[in-house]
Formats: sequence, structure tokens, C-alpha cells
Amino acid sequence: MSDTKGHALALRGLSKRYGDFVAVNDVSLEVGKGEFLTLLGPSGSGKTTILMAIAGFVAPSDGAILLDGRDITPLPPEKRDFGMVFQGYALFPHMTVAENVAFPLRVRGMSKADRDAKVRGALDLVQLAAFADRLPKQLSGGQQQRVALARALVFDPALLLLDEPLSALDKKLRAELQEELKALHQRVGRTFVNVTHDQEEALSLSDRIAILNHGRLVQAGAPGELYERPRTRFVADFLGKSNFLEGTVRGAAPGGFALEAGAARLAVRLPDGAAPLAEGSRSLLSLRPEKIALLAEGDAAENVAEGRILAFAYLGAGFSLRVATEHLGEIRATLPAWKSPIAPTEGLPVRLGWSADAAAPVEEDAA
Amino acid sequence: MDGAYRPGPFGRGLAWATALYLVLPILIVVPVALTDQRYLSLPEDGLSLRHFETVLASPEWLGSIWQSFTIAVAATMLSVTAGTLCAIGCWRISRRATEFVRVLMLLPLIIPSIVYAIGLYRYFGPLGLLDRFLGVVLAHGVTGIPYVVITVSTALAAFDPRLEQAARGMGASLSQTLRWVILPRIAPGIFSGAIFAFIHSWDELVMVLFIASRDVFTLPRRIWDGINENLDPAMAAVAVLLILFTLLLLMADRALRRRSEG
Repeated sequence: MSDTKGHALALRGLSKRYGDFVAVNDVSLEVGKGEFLTLLGPSGSGKTTILMAIAGFVAPSDGAILLDGRDITPLPPEKRDFGMVFQGYALFPHMTVAENVAFPLRVRGMSKADRDAKVRGALDLVQLAAFADRLPKQLSGGQQQRVALARALVFDPALLLLDEPLSALDKKLRAELQEELKALHQRVGRTFVNVTHDQEEALSLSDRIAILNHGRLVQAGAPGELYERPRTRFVADFLGKSNFLEGTVRGAAPGGFALEAGAARLAVRLPDGAAPLAEGSRSLLSLRPEKIALLAEGDAAENVAEGRILAFAYLGAGFSLRVATEHLGEIRATLPAWKSPIAPTEGLPVRLGWSADAAAPVEEDAA
Repeated sequence: MDGAYRPGPFGRGLAWATALYLVLPILIVVPVALTDQRYLSLPEDGLSLRHFETVLASPEWLGSIWQSFTIAVAATMLSVTAGTLCAIGCWRISRRATEFVRVLMLLPLIIPSIVYAIGLYRYFGPLGLLDRFLGVVLAHGVTGIPYVVITVSTALAAFDPRLEQAARGMGASLSQTLRWVILPRIAPGIFSGAIFAFIHSWDELVMVLFIASRDVFTLPRRIWDGINENLDPAMAAVAVLLILFTLLLLMADRALRRRSEG
């Protein structure tokens, strides 16, 4: 046996068509051993179809699925040895918690004594040992979710697949279980593939995120990489919030350029190794609202935009402002609320400032 | 119920009339069975259990009751097995063709049983199934399938298909999934279907008139003959016993349903 517990998964040119509708379009993706990968996208982006293809419930129209380099595309789900947590958990309502967790061992013909020991271990892992004899309907949503996890992990699956595992829970519980899930992933050291439409969940849980839209893989990478360097407008918009500034590239150099947007000229510094943009080409910048500061009288910044507050909202931790600027249109900014330099009111003139490395050039998405 | 429309005198009267119309023919049998007279009539001088005694002491009546019971049990097993498998198969495959199969399975309910009886009479002759236990079991078993298909399909419609996916995803084979996940979930539907299939065989007369004569003499057949030959109140006593038995089965069905919903 290999020394690491996780297995590597690869998707090669995976496609799924239903008649004329293309649910998944030529997706290639690698998932490393022990990695926590999240497939993130809006509904209809194909993320669940990809997960179901990995699980074996959906037969791909094209492409291959490889586990540790071995082609498993033709295998039926019961031969794949993957653990899965379904949306809504799919616990067997007529079995107790212990019987549910024992199910995958029972189908493998494991003896009662071995089964009991394994079930106890799995229930300990999710801190539900005291609930072994309850029926699923006697448990809260969070407890049911943990039973589903124990059941999916008890037979040492090659891979754990999670289909929107937290979507049925309320917000506070979701945050708690996110932490638990992450800790569990570290404890068991297995490869997890998660599907969600919740960008916060994706950012906080994953080692890597694959962003999907209209059946295509738009960008894959570590959460910070995707957030800071989104490749396209869609990624910038879906993962967090973003302002978009459009203009012409002037003074292009390896380290950066200036964006000419109407009468404004914005300084942009590119990270090391980024490819320089062509002089005179159209470019789109993504600027995160939290990277914009409110400048006091006399403060300077590499980029400054003056305008008036159109609307604002108090969010507890911060203010969210919509500012109508002279040259750049409407810009959203979020400011820490405590010790805010101003008390926002509608129509108040403000100066916004951001550094040259705050904005990142993104591509328009192909239609 | 608050806020509900109150029925007018006409509506209320109609409802009661309908209820009485449904129940009266059943209730009229009870006093007739308790008559003290020697012919089919209402009691005159007092109530008597003598006709119940006659029935329970008569080898003919007891023989028919036993025969009907064994036929119904065997036919029910046939209906339940075939009907359940058919419903599960249609549910799993779930194409337009399976809709057609499902409708086909309901044919025995739609086609008049006398048409069935004529067909069976024609085909059972050469097969040596006329007046045989097996022949009646086959006839009742096949015509009992629709009840099982309907109740099991209803149970399956409420079955969460993700449970099947979950079972398969955890490595369960088809037969393991069937035994440990699907069947336990649809058991109340199967029991309901079994009860209806049993009742169907238990009081089926038309086909028995055609395909059975002397050796197979079921309870409905004996009642029928009794009515034609002599107006013995023992038949009313049998009818009361039948009603009680059927009520018992229906109550069992309700209790099962309530438990599966609770």
C-alpha cells in the first residue's frame, strides 16, 4: 500500500451533453493526494454533474476520470469505493445512526465484531458516539450531517465526495460545521471533493477551488490566488465583490501600466512574473471594495477618485458605500465601521484612494 | 373546522343519503343473520345465533372457508411478488415504455372480470387447470396484481431516490440495495397491496363460476349456490363473518399506514 492515505484524481476533457444542452464542457482538472478541492459555481454551472460523474451516477459523454492514473470512467458507482455525503444527507430513515454508519461495512460482508469497532471509531470521529441508537429523524440537521460524514468515511474510501454538504443548515451552524469539516479533513488526511455555490464556504474550506460557469472550468487555484488574481470578470464577481474599471493601456512596462479611463489615469502595478499588457489595448481592472480607503483632507494615494456618496449601508463590521465618482462612474467601497473617519450621509463629498497594486487586470468572459 | 363553508340542508341531506345508501345493504345482513326463522327473513320473535352455529358446524361451509382462505393466501403471494417487482422495475427504469407497462398491469381492473373469465375458461381447459386449486390461484393472483402495483408505485413515489444512490455509492449491489434499503421503505405499500389482493381473491365470484365446478368450491361460490337453491339464513351469517373479516383486514391496513407515517 502507498504511504499516503489520499488518492489523486484527474479529469481529462470531461463533457456531458443532454441532447443539445451541454452541462459540462471539456473540463480537465487535477486533484492532488489529500487535497480539499471545491467545485464552485452558480446553479447550472455543471458542478454537481461533475461530482455525479466522479461518483459514477452520471456517464460522461466524453473524456475520462482517472484515479491514481487508472481509468475508472466505465466503473459503476458501487465499484468505485468513494464515500459520498449527499445534499440532504440521504440517511436511511429506517435504520439507527449505528446501522446507517455500519451499512457500507455490511455490504462488504464485514463481521459484526469488526463492524461494531469501526462504527464506534467513526462515530467518535464526529463526536456522536452517544447517539448510536437514535433514528436520523431524532437528530438535528447538524448531527445528521455528521452521521452522513461518519457513514461516508467509515469504510476508508479512496475519495470523499460532498454535494453541498452544508446548504441545509442555518448560517451559524454552517460556520461551525465548516470548521469541523476542515479539521476532519486534516485528521483523516484523505482527498475531498466538495461542491458548493457558497463562495465563503469555498474560500474557508478548500486547499484549491475550481470555478465553473456554463459547464466550463473558468479558473482553478488556491483560494487566495483566485481572490487576488482572478483571471476573468466572472471569477472576480463571483468570488467576493468587485468594481470593474475599463480603459486603455498606456505606458505599458513589465512591472505595470497606466489605465486611461476617460479623463482619469490609474496607476496599476503588476505582480512579479505577470505578463505585460499590450500598449493601447483595452483592459478591464477588478478593484475589490475593501482595498479602497477613504482619504482625509491632505492624504495622498497612488490613485485618487473624488465623488459623492450615493447610498450607504451599515453592516456592523463595516460601512458599504456607493460613490458616484467624476470620471470612473459608480464605485463601491467598504470601510471598517469602528473609528470611521466620517459619518456617511447621502450626497457627502468624499475622496477615495487605493494603491497601484490593489487593482488586477481581468479578461472579459467568453460569451 | 373554523372558516370552512357550512353545508346547507340539501347538501347535508344528500351526504347522509349517500352514506346510508352505501352502508344499509351491509347493515341489513346483520339482523337477517340473527333471525330466529328458518328462512331468509328479519327476526320475528327474538334474536338467535343458530345460523352461525349451522355455519360453524357444517363441513361444507367450513371446507369452503378454508379453501377460499388458502386460495387467497397463495394468490396474494403471487400478486405481491409479481406486482412489487413490476412496480420497482418500472420505477427504476422509468421511461415512456414503463408507463405503458404500468397501464398494462392495470388492465385486470379495467376489463370486466367476465371477459377475463371467458378467456381463462378457454385457455385453462387444454392446460388441465379447470376446477383446480392452481387454476383459481393463477386467475386470482394475476387479477390481484393491479392493487399491488398501485400501492407499491405510490410508496415508491415517496421514496427518496438519493437513498438508492447513497446505497450504491457505498458499494451495495442491486440485491443488497433492494433488500436493505428499498423494501423496508416500501413495506407498508406492499402490505396494503397484499391486503387488497387478498380481499380481491377472497370475494371473487365471476371467474370462479367459470373455471371451477365441484372440487374447488370457494366461499362466494357457496353463497351464490345457496341463494339460488334455498334461501338459508346461514348465508347471511356467512356474510356477517365475511364483513367482520374484511373490516379486520382494512383496520390492519390503516394501522400500518398510520405507523409508517408516524
